[in-house]
Amino acid sequence: MSDAYAQETTLVREDSNYVDRALDTTIALTIVSFLLGLLTAIQVVALTTGGNALTTLHLQLLAVVGGGIGTVGVLSWLGVVPITDQRVRGIGIGLVLSLLGLTILSVVLPVTMASLFGIVLLLEAAAVLTAGVLSWQGLFDTDPSPSAGLVAGIAFGIIGLLIGAAFGGMFLPSIAFSFGLPDGTLVSVDFAHLLPALVVGVALAAATIAPREDLGTAIPTMVLVGGLGLVILTGAIGPGWTWSPGEDIDGSFTGQIVIPLFVLVGSVVSSWGAAKARAGYGAVGRQFGSYLVIYLNAATMVAIMVSIVAFVLMKGLNYAFHGVTIGALSALVLLAPLLAVVVDWARTPAGTPDWHAGARQAFRAIPVVLVGGLAGWLAFLQVTGGRFAVPFQYTVKLPNENTNEVLDTAATITSEPTVGTLVVIFSGLLLTWYFLRKYGSLRSVGTQSDRLADVERWIGIAVGVTLLLSAVLLVLPPVLEVGVLFGVELFVWLNVDTIARPVVSVLVPVGAVAAISLAVLAIQTLVVGSGRMADRAFEGVHRIRVGLFGGVGLLAAVTIAQPSVGVNPRIGPWDIVPAVALVGAALAFTAGIVTAALARSADDRLERVLRKESALGLAATTGFVVVAALHVAVTWVDFTVAGVTVGVTGTLSWPMTMSSYIPLVPEPGGILPAVVGTVWLVVGAALFAVPLGVGAAVFLTEYAEQGKFTGLVEVATNSLWSTPSVVFGLFGAAFLIPRLGEQESLLTGMLVLGFMLLPLVLITSREAIKSVPDEYRDASAALGVSKWETVKSVVLPAAVPGVITGVILGVGRIAGETAPLILVLGSTLNETSVVDVLGAFRFVGHPPFVANDMLLASSPAVPTQIWAIISAGVAGSTSMGWGSALVLLLIVLTFYAVGIVTRSYFRRKLNYE
Amino acid sequence: MSNALNESKTESSSESTGVTTDVSTSTTTTGESDEQIRDEWSDFHFDGPAKLSVEDLNVHYGTDHALTDVSMEIPENSVTALIGPSGCGKSTYLRCLNRMNDRIKAARIEGSVELDGTEIYDANANLVELRKRVGMVFQQPNPFPKSIRDNISYGPRKHGDIDTGLLARLLGRDDTDEEIELVERSLRQAALWDEVSDRLDDNALGLSGGQQQRLCIARALATDPEVILMDEPASALDPIATSKIEDLVEELSEEYTVVIVTHNMQQAARISDQTAVFLTGGELVEYDDTEKIFENPESQRVEDYISGKFG
Repeated sequence: MSDAYAQETTLVREDSNYVDRALDTTIALTIVSFLLGLLTAIQVVALTTGGNALTTLHLQLLAVVGGGIGTVGVLSWLGVVPITDQRVRGIGIGLVLSLLGLTILSVVLPVTMASLFGIVLLLEAAAVLTAGVLSWQGLFDTDPSPSAGLVAGIAFGIIGLLIGAAFGGMFLPSIAFSFGLPDGTLVSVDFAHLLPALVVGVALAAATIAPREDLGTAIPTMVLVGGLGLVILTGAIGPGWTWSPGEDIDGSFTGQIVIPLFVLVGSVVSSWGAAKARAGYGAVGRQFGSYLVIYLNAATMVAIMVSIVAFVLMKGLNYAFHGVTIGALSALVLLAPLLAVVVDWARTPAGTPDWHAGARQAFRAIPVVLVGGLAGWLAFLQVTGGRFAVPFQYTVKLPNENTNEVLDTAATITSEPTVGTLVVIFSGLLLTWYFLRKYGSLRSVGTQSDRLADVERWIGIAVGVTLLLSAVLLVLPPVLEVGVLFGVELFVWLNVDTIARPVVSVLVPVGAVAAISLAVLAIQTLVVGSGRMADRAFEGVHRIRVGLFGGVGLLAAVTIAQPSVGVNPRIGPWDIVPAVALVGAALAFTAGIVTAALARSADDRLERVLRKESALGLAATTGFVVVAALHVAVTWVDFTVAGVTVGVTGTLSWPMTMSSYIPLVPEPGGILPAVVGTVWLVVGAALFAVPLGVGAAVFLTEYAEQGKFTGLVEVATNSLWSTPSVVFGLFGAAFLIPRLGEQESLLTGMLVLGFMLLPLVLITSREAIKSVPDEYRDASAALGVSKWETVKSVVLPAAVPGVITGVILGVGRIAGETAPLILVLGSTLNETSVVDVLGAFRFVGHPPFVANDMLLASSPAVPTQIWAIISAGVAGSTSMGWGSALVLLLIVLTFYAVGIVTRSYFRRKLNYE
Repeated sequence: MSNALNESKTESSSESTGVTTDVSTSTTTTGESDEQIRDEWSDFHFDGPAKLSVEDLNVHYGTDHALTDVSMEIPENSVTALIGPSGCGKSTYLRCLNRMNDRIKAARIEGSVELDGTEIYDANANLVELRKRVGMVFQQPNPFPKSIRDNISYGPRKHGDIDTGLLARLLGRDDTDEEIELVERSLRQAALWDEVSDRLDDNALGLSGGQQQRLCIARALATDPEVILMDEPASALDPIATSKIEDLVEELSEEYTVVIVTHNMQQAARISDQTAVFLTGGELVEYDDTEKIFENPESQRVEDYISGKFG
């Protein structure tokens, strides 16, 4: 579209001129004053702030806003994130200008936050009025309607009523009339309030409706915003002002809340007026105006949420993170999966090949640079043996004396050359899974031979038999004793350990040798032979696949077999399994790198296969590393190579969540028992509710005739969802507890939370199943597949994202549930031992055959503990309560984060984006 | 083979309830001229037995009469095209041939459809067996959101035609030789093998529209059907993909009986052996050799429709 066209028609208004820029700045100023109003409303900033503190505040805001907008501006100039909209540019620049202006004002004038608000409101009122008058005089290009409209008139009328009523009483003497109603009550009306209210209301409404739209917007805005500004600036309502409405209404209004409220209202109104003017009034103007008002409304919601989280964070941060320690090496290991993800993100095609493609690529590389930089810094700490600590202070209440003590602590990064085995397994599994996804499968390319298929089969059988053997050995007691068999007195003592130990001791080296030879097979396929290496990699893909997967599988199987009889075969100073695992990892890594290098110069199809082989090699590498860590985890023997130890106890320590409460000492402990209790509650509730809820959803959507019955079920589930949680608690206390052990218990807590979770799981699962396209059902039916098989294999997998979202949202809700738990869980405060639910299972010789004392005993949970500490003041200091609250918030937010990630993963997988 | 259709299974009978099956009912309420024409086309004869023979088929959706007294015989190993304007009942007719209309609650079906001489609307008919023998390809490509391999082996696996042994299942190895063979054979038949052989485990939704449709054909072929019903299989595809599908249909007709609904008359003329023309009101106006229909139709209405004066 040419510039000529744009100028000939009014479709595109001409380039921004000074009036437009000024109005953009006005809008930006209203946004700034709105946000400042929010900050003062939640009392992050005091109204009496003045002098240097005020300047510093504005400088900080200027730094944040200027930094953000400056970055976007640079990126826009480079063409990475092109911002072409004049309004967005204008408002962006205006935000910086406004904050700059406010900073200068706070330096030049002896103002406080409150008087600054007054000045700002007056400025805004003046700007809107000027725009209206200019437009009325035809001095800039607008398209106003004949009137601002009835709706705006009524809105201003109502605001005018309120203002007139409020201020009328201040300046006029009371003119009270009383009259009796027929039933004898006496009503008193004060015309000092009523008359000005009516006058101001009608006047404002008339000023809005009667004149042309530009004046009809500007005049009432000026009157309202300017009035509010004057009231604040003159100190008629200052920070110390209070107003008690009288004997009818309890409570009083203070300037602390009224001034921010005035600022919020004034900012919204003037931003509406300025936005209308900026878009040239008329239909477009009204749209932009309401858009901005809605935007500010949404900003309020976000601000409220953020301030809640920030408040808990400020209160609980120091206590919750006391003594956090992590080894640089462990941090590096944990960083590895994240690095893989950002690298993957940076690899995706970088857009169009025009001049700024380079800048785009740089932009995509930023996360890699950040994570890589962090990794480099951690490696530097590790190598140089440095130590990094962030000091904290926190207060604890001494148990015996009723005094507080301030303690110092620090979050530390150390350079111990040790990694915990669990950290390695966690990171390793994530990476293995990540690479396996890239790998896909290579079963249909290359040359397959019968002998290789046999090898593959036998590896499978060997792994299966080994796992079976270790499971049997784990379950059997060390000494088998057979007494009377079929009436014949027959005593056989069988020392299982003595027989099994040599078997496993031989099995482990044999398996390890087999694993290493398989890994060598993979490398040998690549290295030995004639022709190009890439072709060998293509033809021998089955040997590489069997070699690497078989190696990892066999080694993992024999690793798991070791602890069943407590052996750990060694050769010299080396434990066999981890040594072999590391050699295997090196071999697999070589395979991965070599194939990746080959893929660089291969053609399309070959490249695809080689890339997959490379992913396979890397997956096998991390797989081998996981096996090495698994060895440490199951045998409890540390393993050291090249000065680095994979240890049973790692260097990751977070006392708040990883230790129990330590009574009677000033050193604070943690809330591990409560965290574990909460986890068990959630697990139990989910185990109860998810199968039931999903099953019912399948029945209701796929099988039941849509009609009265399903309608009834829908009403029932919805009302169950809105039932107050304390009612669930009462039901649990009065109905479940008498039937389940007659005491407050973990099991009752699980069931009650399960009841609460059930309706949400049901509702979301139903929606998810309904949204699976009917095409899948048709396709399956046309293949002659029965309904249940279709539901099982097609509908449910496609509905998984929705179901998971529902479960996670529900779990996030019940994890923080307090009221029912107080009633049914029992509040064991500051428990020093962790509930061991798994270990407490016992088999008994009579129904129900399984007993578990832990499930039937009361247990601590994070929400009840917070309630007890803060509300009842039972035990622990208040700061411990806030620390616990932060931990609970983190738990719930983690659930949400996991839910969002899982959902987007499954959604991508199903829609193939 | 045909007896298998009448083995009652609980699953099939549950789906067939709600469908009125009345073989004896036949209503003839058509005009005289059409009556004459019908006499003409009902003389359409071919050598050998009919694969499908339809007699007096009527379908109502609620009060809407979607198909009126349709009778036709479809020969084995040939391509039969069904053409006609939108809403004339072609698709409804097609969906009657493997009882997909049973899935629509409001549908009421009267008349008789015989597959190899066995009534498929028999109350005891085995729907699983029927749909195995009469496969279907839909208008929109609708592969499952699974891997290409799983899409192909889905049907046979659910029917128990691929036997994964107990040990294989325990070890999680269900890619038996049998399955690998089946996947390759079906994909080769659908002319897709060369394009996807190195990414059988990738998600089928990553394929292009034409590839997806051929995958759907391969999926239908995997259950080893005798008849393949195609409901405008190329209408959502570009010309190149369409020509691939057309070539494929011609190849398939050597082994299978293909019934294809199409809006594209050139397509019908190119690929079909005989053509049936449906016109508004769900009546079959003319059914004859494709050449005759396109060059010298009996009915004036058909001629108008084909020459573009109507519909």
